Amino acid sequence: MIEFSAVSKVFEDGTKAVNSLDFTIEKGEFFVLIGPSGCGKTTTMKMINRLIDPSEGNIKINGKNIESQDIQELRWNIGYVLQQIALFPHMTIAENIAIVPEMKKWKKQDIDKRIDELLSMVGLEPATYRNRKPKELSGGQQQRIGVIRALAGDPDIILMDEPFSALDPLSREQLRRDIGKLQKEIKKTIVFVTHDMDEALMLGNRICVMKDGTSVQIDTPENIMNHPADSFVEEFLSGYKDAWSDSVRKVMKENSTYIIEKSKMDTNVGETQFVYSGSEKTFLGKRSKSGRLVDFENTIPESYTIAEVVDVFRKCEGEILPVVDQNNALIGTVTIKDVMVYLNDSRNDGRRRG
Amino acid sequence: MILAFQSFMTLLQTRQDMLWTATWEHLQLSIISLLLSVFIALPLGIILTRKTKVAEPIIGASAVLQTIPSLALLGFMIPLIGIGTTPAIVALTAYALLPILRNTYTGIREVDPSLVEAARGMGMSSFKRLHKVELPIAMPVIMAGIRTSMVLIVGTATLAALIGAGGLGDLIMLGIARSNNEYILLGAIPAALLALFFDAILRFTEKRSGGRSIMPIVSVVIVAILIVTVPLAIRPQQADITIGGKLGSEPEIIINMHKLLIEDQTDLVVDLEPNLGQTDFVFNAIQSGNIDIYLEFAGTAIMTFLDEDLEKNDEQEVFEIARDGMEEEYGLVFLQPMAFNNTYAIAMMTELAEELDVETISDLRSYNNELTAGFTHEFADRQDGYLGIQDVYGVNFDVVTMEAGLRPHALESGDIDLMDAYATDWYIVEYDMTVLEDDETLFPPYQGAPLVRRDILEQYPEIADVLNVLGGQITDEEMQEMNHRVEVGDENAEDIAREFLQSQGLLSE
Repeated sequence: MIEFSAVSKVFEDGTKAVNSLDFTIEKGEFFVLIGPSGCGKTTTMKMINRLIDPSEGNIKINGKNIESQDIQELRWNIGYVLQQIALFPHMTIAENIAIVPEMKKWKKQDIDKRIDELLSMVGLEPATYRNRKPKELSGGQQQRIGVIRALAGDPDIILMDEPFSALDPLSREQLRRDIGKLQKEIKKTIVFVTHDMDEALMLGNRICVMKDGTSVQIDTPENIMNHPADSFVEEFLSGYKDAWSDSVRKVMKENSTYIIEKSKMDTNVGETQFVYSGSEKTFLGKRSKSGRLVDFENTIPESYTIAEVVDVFRKCEGEILPVVDQNNALIGTVTIKDVMVYLNDSRNDGRRRG
Repeated sequence: MILAFQSFMTLLQTRQDMLWTATWEHLQLSIISLLLSVFIALPLGIILTRKTKVAEPIIGASAVLQTIPSLALLGFMIPLIGIGTTPAIVALTAYALLPILRNTYTGIREVDPSLVEAARGMGMSSFKRLHKVELPIAMPVIMAGIRTSMVLIVGTATLAALIGAGGLGDLIMLGIARSNNEYILLGAIPAALLALFFDAILRFTEKRSGGRSIMPIVSVVIVAILIVTVPLAIRPQQADITIGGKLGSEPEIIINMHKLLIEDQTDLVVDLEPNLGQTDFVFNAIQSGNIDIYLEFAGTAIMTFLDEDLEKNDEQEVFEIARDGMEEEYGLVFLQPMAFNNTYAIAMMTELAEELDVETISDLRSYNNELTAGFTHEFADRQDGYLGIQDVYGVNFDVVTMEAGLRPHALESGDIDLMDAYATDWYIVEYDMTVLEDDETLFPPYQGAPLVRRDILEQYPEIADVLNVLGGQITDEEMQEMNHRVEVGDENAEDIAREFLQSQGLLSE
């Protein structure tokens, strides 16, 4: 548990970076600090491992003031992942990972075991990667090492400072998913700094939105989205919120080739087809591969938001779903691809606006 | 070409001992200086990275040291520290500081700040961060600085011979003094090889460390310290008296005679510091007490140290003026002068002198401003040298100043038409030169006599009598012949000194 009480930071040049922060990060929580650049989110994070000391107030970890602890030991128990990755170029992968365990004076064989275990955990074959130098790895692989280097000493807390922003989009997506999974497995307290709302919404248990050194809102992703505290949060969310809460009609296709009248069912074999009958277009079900009409449960009511559509996709198989109105008439279909394209486009709009 | 190579190889064989000694001294000088400058500049550079505010002024100060010409820096050392190995090491160390200091500072400062932050964030102490991250990453830059300094040191160490530190510079200076290219090469080639050898070792060390461990560097440093200190620990006994001499064969032969006489007649142990460069180097050395005796000419003493004009050209009178003045002003005592008069002379190739029909310096008036003269720096600037020629004879030349040893060749090849010479120099005979008569008696008598510190004479009064046996001895011809044997015949000055003393019955056996 990390407690901030009345923490402020004024730099020597007079810049007020952080202003009277009060919050508590629970044990095992994935806590995201988000805000525009210069909002003090990175300063806030770096005060936890004392890379920056607060000018006022104090920070306690598990009830103990961090300034009363040995600074080195404090840091050995706080993993640190940097935006620049910052693997030591003159050391092998294994040596990079071993740094904190060595400082903690672990036994040699324990360290070796730990290195192999961590490499396997992020899908890098230990025998292949142990003795490589960082520059022989791709950016995504390097940041995997960056993450497990932070984990190596088995710390209770891990700080991540925009860890994915230096990566290409593909590696970024993949690492995001892996970190989310990892967090559920290892149950560490993670403090994560980002300026990317996607990342925050996807990973955070709670999100702290910061502006000018103060926290504007600290809440779960759902509450942030649905009940933004003020116009700043709303503005910051714009593009994300709109798209996710837009109606399914925005992405639905009415004259879809995936829709067929019952009488024509036999003629078009091959594609997925949803079947209706009559002028009311009453939804009947799905045509099976063998050409028979079968029941289909995962219909999308036209009142659904895109977020709800994504939930349905998550639960069922298939990439196309039928959309029905309140009278159970088949009015169109929605595909995963359409949803993705729509979200992506609106996110770019949001960025441009921001 | 092949002949030149063969004679070089012969010289290499006959001078093997001298070469080994010189190389060894050079190696020692270089290693000690390099180690010292690394020990000073590396930690200083590291400290400066932690105190960046004072960094630029301190690096600037070391840059100032670098701008002092190396010869001048060595010259400075004499009044401060004296002559020999110690001042040479101090000067070389000072000279090598800048590249190491600057590269250490820059190398560490330019380590990616995110790596430094990662190291801090992971809980490395400042020392551990330095040891594990900053130094290994900055190592190539630091090593580049050390290698630059090493080349500087090995090169500059050749000048250390001028203040009696020995080394390969001895051979080079000898070669220059005798205008003997083979000697110059004998000194220069090993110096270059030494630089390459050091560079290879440093590069190998750097590779072995691979930027990850400093163990190979530490072990090389330890080996270097052992190489240097072990021979120092087994040093020969301390001398009672040190006799110095200017660059050249004549002072070397005479001070060898002094040593032989003193050690023969008394129980004192004498140390020789021959080839100490030009007059002011040696004079500084005797004033600061680093040497106790050296061979000086009365004329030089009057003009250079007593700052008086030489008005009288009578040998006895001049000597008395010099003796009284030096004792009064500097507490230095002239003992009895020897017979030979090594005064200045103007020499031309005999062929040219006949062609121009000149026999005296006055005859040169008909060629005013037409002839090129090769003079030493010293002669060109002396009242009893070129300045006097202009005043007394009213003759001007197109003057090229050059190193003493280079003049005979330049004269022979026709690059210069005339040169300054000393009456006892060997090359007058060797190259068939003609000495022009000093018909207006411009040049004062230059009689050599031992110049001794008064306190040494008080401490060891017996040496005055011992050295005075040479008073009135050694004629111009004898001196010329002995010089010729050393300079051209490449014989050992000590052997010649002993032979002469024995032939005169001055040694007890």
